[in-house]
Amino acid sequence: MNGIFLAILGAAIATVLAGIGSAKGVGSAAQTSMGVLSEDSSMFGKMLVLTLLPGTQGLYGFIVGFLILVSSGVLSGAPTVTMAQGFAYAGASLAIGFGGLFSGIAQGKAAVSGIAMTAKDEKNFSKGMVSVTLVEIYALLAFIVSLLVVIQVPNFVA
Amino acid sequence: MAKLKMKTVRIIALRQDRKRLLEHLQDNGLVQLTKSEKSREGFRRVDVSSQMQVFERNVELTEQALKILDNIRPEKAGMLASFKGRREIDPDEIGVIASNAKEVIETCSRIVELDKECSDNNAEQVRIKTQLAQLESWQKLDIPLNTTDTKSTAVFIGSLPELYTEERLKTALAAENPKLEFEFEIEFCESNTTNLVVFAPISQKEMAEEALRALGFARPMSPTSKVPKVKAEKLREKSKRLSEENKKAQEEIASFDKMREQIKYTQDYFRFRSDKYNVINNIDHSKHVFIIEGYVPEEDCEKLEALCTRAATCVVEFGDAGEDAPVKLKNNKLAEPAQGILTMYSPPGKTDLDPTPILAFFFYFFFGMMFSDAGYGLLLILGTALLIKIFKPDKKMRNNLKLFQYCGVSTMLWGLVFGSIFGDAPAAIAKLITGNEYVMAHSISNLGDPTPAILPWPIIDPQKDALVLMIISIAFGLVHILVGMGCKFVVCFRQKDYAGAFFDTGLWMLMLIGFAVLAAGMVFAPILMTIGAVIAIACAVGLILTQGRGKKGIVGKAIGGVASLYDITSYISDLLSYSRLLALGLTTGVMAQVFNMLATMMGTNVLGIVFMIVIFLLGHLINIGLNALGAYVHTMRLQYVEMFSKFYEGGGKEFEPFSLNSKYIKIQEDK
Repeated sequence: MNGIFLAILGAAIATVLAGIGSAKGVGSAAQTSMGVLSEDSSMFGKMLVLTLLPGTQGLYGFIVGFLILVSSGVLSGAPTVTMAQGFAYAGASLAIGFGGLFSGIAQGKAAVSGIAMTAKDEKNFSKGMVSVTLVEIYALLAFIVSLLVVIQVPNFVA
Repeated sequence: MAKLKMKTVRIIALRQDRKRLLEHLQDNGLVQLTKSEKSREGFRRVDVSSQMQVFERNVELTEQALKILDNIRPEKAGMLASFKGRREIDPDEIGVIASNAKEVIETCSRIVELDKECSDNNAEQVRIKTQLAQLESWQKLDIPLNTTDTKSTAVFIGSLPELYTEERLKTALAAENPKLEFEFEIEFCESNTTNLVVFAPISQKEMAEEALRALGFARPMSPTSKVPKVKAEKLREKSKRLSEENKKAQEEIASFDKMREQIKYTQDYFRFRSDKYNVINNIDHSKHVFIIEGYVPEEDCEKLEALCTRAATCVVEFGDAGEDAPVKLKNNKLAEPAQGILTMYSPPGKTDLDPTPILAFFFYFFFGMMFSDAGYGLLLILGTALLIKIFKPDKKMRNNLKLFQYCGVSTMLWGLVFGSIFGDAPAAIAKLITGNEYVMAHSISNLGDPTPAILPWPIIDPQKDALVLMIISIAFGLVHILVGMGCKFVVCFRQKDYAGAFFDTGLWMLMLIGFAVLAAGMVFAPILMTIGAVIAIACAVGLILTQGRGKKGIVGKAIGGVASLYDITSYISDLLSYSRLLALGLTTGVMAQVFNMLATMMGTNVLGIVFMIVIFLLGHLINIGLNALGAYVHTMRLQYVEMFSKFYEGGGKEFEPFSLNSKYIKIQEDK
């Protein structure tokens, strides 16, 4: 019995949960920005930036997932994962999984407001953009926790 | 390097020179004119708003014409056309544009008129369509819809709101009035209407009418004097004629396509004139002279004076501008592109110093660290250089491109530090060809690694040395924040707010440095730990003693002082925020690595190579798009939130000189 399943489960949790967060966030932001664009299509660039902001959570989740696959050896076809390491991967993935899920949704909401604000006055764009990135720090912290664990796991003995 | 010193200026000139002087001022764009609501005593305003309205109307007319033209014959513009600068024209060409203006405006009126014709025709077409739909159900009828009674017979043409067969109708009418004699013909029926013609002897007209009304009989909405079939034919002909007319009108509009450029230039010409008249509206005139007031940067004063005395008989007076003067920034070539980032936040306020050079440096530095790929950096440099070379964009766009170019340089350097050239593309390709494992370079934590490396120098590998890089990131953050606080220190010092400078800013700076020394001590030498701790504690004591100084009473002062230590949390969260430098740097590298892995998956056969090239291009394009956006947004955030919050007030007004404010053309300066 080894921990391959747990490692793959960890990769899946990280990618999927964070992905859901980003998908929801980007989805609601995209809906709003399309509403704005139907009135004034010249704002596409600014709308695109604001719409994409909640997309990073999915990326972080994917990176953690990918690093788990690399460091557990699943990608090279020779996985060497002990039970303890498997649990460590799965545990590490929870941070970015849930961190990404909820911060993605929250950032999506902030992005929607940012889009509405920019639609009223384009000068507000930079303020909106910065405010939306305030949410990002929590996804980042989760990502870094996951990351620091994942790169250390191969050194775990037992 | 800083905010330019502003002067107020007052120009008093003879009225006869007004046109010439204003034109010169507008051409050179040196002065921002101030507007006042009321004229001073002894002076009055000249009302030229009627002329101004004519010009504004012309601008609108040309805008409208261009829009119509664009709808019918869209302008051929490449994807990159938005980079294109305004066309430079010779000052003499303005004269040509002015002399052609009348003709161009006539053309525009014609375009608008044709467009109106088209939309009228379209409205008519809709009306015809509904009429035709109504007539459709009367196709079988061979008398006009408004046929009236003859001498002996009453005629009823109309519809009943129900589906009737001949049998049912006969029964229904008979049931209404058994005495009624009638004859009828059903023309058309569907689920809830029946169109029919009923004949009855004229003597029974009223009876018939009553019987029919009981069944819900209604006459047609728009009876015509023609047989329905003929009428329909006529309408169809008319519709055809209208669409032909439309086609002709559109062709005529399209034939003005070659005038497009001229229309644009004329639009700008009228824009200039309306701006000028707007100024005339706002200046004070006496019988012989007029007065212009405004702001001018000190360095342009002499130029302005020379210009005015050359253009008109006038007196030019300069004075010191107060604190409300507009702000014009001047920076060297390296820092100038970041001015846009600064003004996007807010131009510097009264007491601010111009942070552009600092902003520029950290902007490039952090962007590079987050985007961190030598290949992408090189693409940025070359791409922006090419855009500048080909399109010769306007100053603003040019500065934006330059910003990314400098960011590209930093990106490239950081890419080399992190050992990333299109991710690990060289290593991946080397592995594909030779079959042996390669790494990009040996990371500092693993220098003895026997795997052959592509790059000869040791690198910081964000994946393997994440912890080291995180500490480095936060250290950069500390420097960034300290620089921001340093600015605050200088600002306070300049305003002679020494308490603010030393106690509020200086102590915190020292305290942060103390913590940094303490942290460094944990790694390097225990003695540093003691030193750091002493500094930090001393500063904390200092803060407790000084921060409550605004409060009343000993207790209030003590509480205020201790409470201020709570600010430490905000500094910690600011510092942690810089961990995004690691996170985004890592993201770029790992994403690139993923795409490289996908690209080299299919091996070295022909199909595999094609697959590789496609995936490689596509993947890296996506990666550049996503991560350049991320790097841009997050470096901006670090500047705005983490650094500016330490010292920058903003709230200034930008210097907006009275100049040739155009959309399409730019007048060449005399050389």
